[in-house]
Amino acid sequence: MKVFLVLIVSCWLTDIWLFASEVPFDSVTVEPPSMAGEVLVRDKPNDTGGTLIIQWAISADDTAAGAGIDGYMVYRSKNVDGPYKLIRVLPSGSISFEDTGLDDGQAYYYRISSVKDQLESQIVAGGPAIPSGQWYHTKRTPILVLMILFCITAVVFIVKAKGGYTFYVRPIAGIDAVDEAIGRATEMGRPILYVPGLGTAADVATIAAFTILGRVARKVAEYNTRVICPNYDPVVMTVCQEVVKGAYSSVGKPDMYEPKDVFFITQDQFPYTAAVNGIILREKPATNFYMGMFYAESLVLAETGFIAGSIQIAGTDQLIQIPFFVCACDYVLMGEELYAASAYLSKEPQQLGTLKAQDWGKVVVVLLIIIGTVFSTVGWSWFSALFDIG
Amino acid sequence: MTTGQLILNGIAAFLTLCIFSFLYKDNPFYKFAERLVAGVATGYWTILLYHTNFTDKVIEPIFINGQYHYIIPAVLGIMMWTRFSRKWSWISRYPIAFYIGIGSGVSITVYLYTYLFKQLQATISTPLTLDLAGLNVLIIVIAVLSALIYFFFSSAHKGIFNVASRFGIYVIMIGFGAGFGLTVMGRVALLVQRIIFLRDYIVALFGG
Amino acid sequence: MRDFLEKMMLIDRRWIYLAIGLAVIIPAIKSFHVPVAVSPEVRKVYEFVDDAKPGEYIFLCFDYNPSTMAEMNPMAYAILNQAFNKDLKVILVTLDQFGAGMVEEIATRVAANHKKVLGEDYCFLGYRPYPAIVILAMGIDFRVPFPADYYGTPLDSMSVMQGIKNFYDVKGVIEITGGSTADFWIIYGNGRYDFPLALGLTGVMSADYYQYLQSGQIFGIIPGVKGAAEYETLVGFPGEGMAQMPYQVIAHIVILLFIIISNVAYFASRKKKGKLGGGV
Repeated sequence: MKVFLVLIVSCWLTDIWLFASEVPFDSVTVEPPSMAGEVLVRDKPNDTGGTLIIQWAISADDTAAGAGIDGYMVYRSKNVDGPYKLIRVLPSGSISFEDTGLDDGQAYYYRISSVKDQLESQIVAGGPAIPSGQWYHTKRTPILVLMILFCITAVVFIVKAKGGYTFYVRPIAGIDAVDEAIGRATEMGRPILYVPGLGTAADVATIAAFTILGRVARKVAEYNTRVICPNYDPVVMTVCQEVVKGAYSSVGKPDMYEPKDVFFITQDQFPYTAAVNGIILREKPATNFYMGMFYAESLVLAETGFIAGSIQIAGTDQLIQIPFFVCACDYVLMGEELYAASAYLSKEPQQLGTLKAQDWGKVVVVLLIIIGTVFSTVGWSWFSALFDIG
Repeated sequence: MTTGQLILNGIAAFLTLCIFSFLYKDNPFYKFAERLVAGVATGYWTILLYHTNFTDKVIEPIFINGQYHYIIPAVLGIMMWTRFSRKWSWISRYPIAFYIGIGSGVSITVYLYTYLFKQLQATISTPLTLDLAGLNVLIIVIAVLSALIYFFFSSAHKGIFNVASRFGIYVIMIGFGAGFGLTVMGRVALLVQRIIFLRDYIVALFGG
Repeated sequence: MRDFLEKMMLIDRRWIYLAIGLAVIIPAIKSFHVPVAVSPEVRKVYEFVDDAKPGEYIFLCFDYNPSTMAEMNPMAYAILNQAFNKDLKVILVTLDQFGAGMVEEIATRVAANHKKVLGEDYCFLGYRPYPAIVILAMGIDFRVPFPADYYGTPLDSMSVMQGIKNFYDVKGVIEITGGSTADFWIIYGNGRYDFPLALGLTGVMSADYYQYLQSGQIFGIIPGVKGAAEYETLVGFPGEGMAQMPYQVIAHIVILLFIIISNVAYFASRKKKGKLGGGV
């Protein structure tokens, strides 16, 4: 009872104080701002779920001609009767809000009010709406179409290549140098070093490196030279062993294959680099091939090879590393040239067909750039907007 | 600096000098430091994988929380180990196929979106105008087209095609030059950080 | 003169190492001030954090390890200082296997300076392997890859994580990296979930990421230690980035001199060979 009395008295005193502080005797009546317009709540399309979009028409006071407001208060509840929790205060001029982190399948109700000088307008209710995730992103249909077109093109070219059709692949300087470099090693009586990079057997660059290794190993077997292949990845090593063994068999010299020349070093970047450096300095190979994925070790290896006086041919799709190879190597297969070299040397229908399809893809991109730039320049922005599929 | 910090930083300073000694030539100090870092890194990585993968994704969900659907990826993981057996290594192809399938499915759409659509839109959405911004756009468009032509393999680079492809290779080389310049800055930063560390250590050791 | 140039062409690379080594010792003995001009791409990152209101969330991903900390640490310190100064809530994560210990040290040190409390003002989620998968999973809910933080505290029990589910609940992501995770954040983060993303990169990587700035896939770049120094200038927190600038200036002068001399020597030797060839 005592507590109750204290509460009543304190509330009364607080009221007097608030009244005294906020409303002077000669005050004018302060009107709350006009309320927001109709509130629309809907699930966010093309998302993973958990998000609703709340939109409302702007308050009559929230205009240049109006009295102005401080902002909008957004309330949310799981029940139509509440309780409603204030979730966000938005600045004036706002007309929508994305409410995230919601539970999929649960209905949500919203209330919006405008506010000025801490006075709230009447509320406007919206909802219910239920958030959900979508299985298919409708705006990204162009990607699906493009992918299907590319796959069809690739399959058509692969089938053609399998049927014996010979595709033209332009000469690439690095490829022509391969035979010359192997010949030089034979003349000098020194081995060839083949470094398949730091990639895994699933990387495209490493797969291309296997094909080029096959070609190199065949020539090496023909000329009775030796190829040393130190590996970073155990799976890559197994594949390299198979490739070299197959190459020796294909030229009728299976007994000459030396499994110890294709070996595993370590799966640590710089210890691997140090070991390969050691091989370059000790064995003094006439030719070094660096094919596959390379990182910071690229310059260290290529520079050591340069000091040792070897002819060096490198190929990688790691753009950052290409300048280092360009500096220290005699020939470099840059980016896609590595894949093209692989297709050119192997003559495999899958590789040739894909390379051809990629070229057609480039033709399409070139045309789109030319058309798009012309259209944008003459003010037809609808064309570039076609690519806005976010 | 406390005595403990002084000792620890002393070890770090010694190892830094060991690595720097390679600049003169390969030597036992460098080899020691290099093998030490390889060993420590491998040990740390193994324990980290155990705690962040094996404990969190296998032991806790299956044996503690009773989330038995985690058994499926665990079994797929175990199947990968059959690679070490010549007889059973074919089993490992199934989890690899599963992994590649999921990886491709997740990647292809976002790769096309990120690398093709967004880049294409950025290249074509700005109009060519008679000012510096327009010149910028023109340079970008010509550079992109010529670099694409350089990587076109289905026809010989002759005539106008040759001119465009030669321009393309110059564009690519300019890009490499920019990368090279920034690399110098990065490598100097690594050296400088070690120099500052050594200076601070010497000052702490002998007084400023 | 010609003999000197020919000698320069064949100079032992160890002399170059020695020259650079000696050159960078000069600022270690007597430092000097280097004025730093701020580039627009760095300013955009700064303004993004600066425009955030107190209590807003920012997601910081420090994906680097000791091998690149010389370039990355100054950025990490500057951004974290700015965020705590602005009373922002910070969610930290690392996707580099050797990064967790370093990030924890940085976060603890900066938070202590600003009297910020773990679990209330910021949280450090820790490390998980396979960056692409982790980023995709965080886009659904941070709790999928990280049910608990680095210290084992469940995310749901932290006040800072209440009502925070995924990237849509933070103002944006700033990724500071010395490796390939920048690609993962662009492809699987921005590409999949379309949130504002900025990158802090090593000098080696920077040139390759300006295309994403032009396409709007990232809103800012802090390139290498120079970018870090620019950021420190903006924040008013001169740290390791600014301290490195005198060394960078001296080292660059030495390297430029070597490049100029060796190029002159190269062209001079070509001219000489050409003359000889003509005479034979």
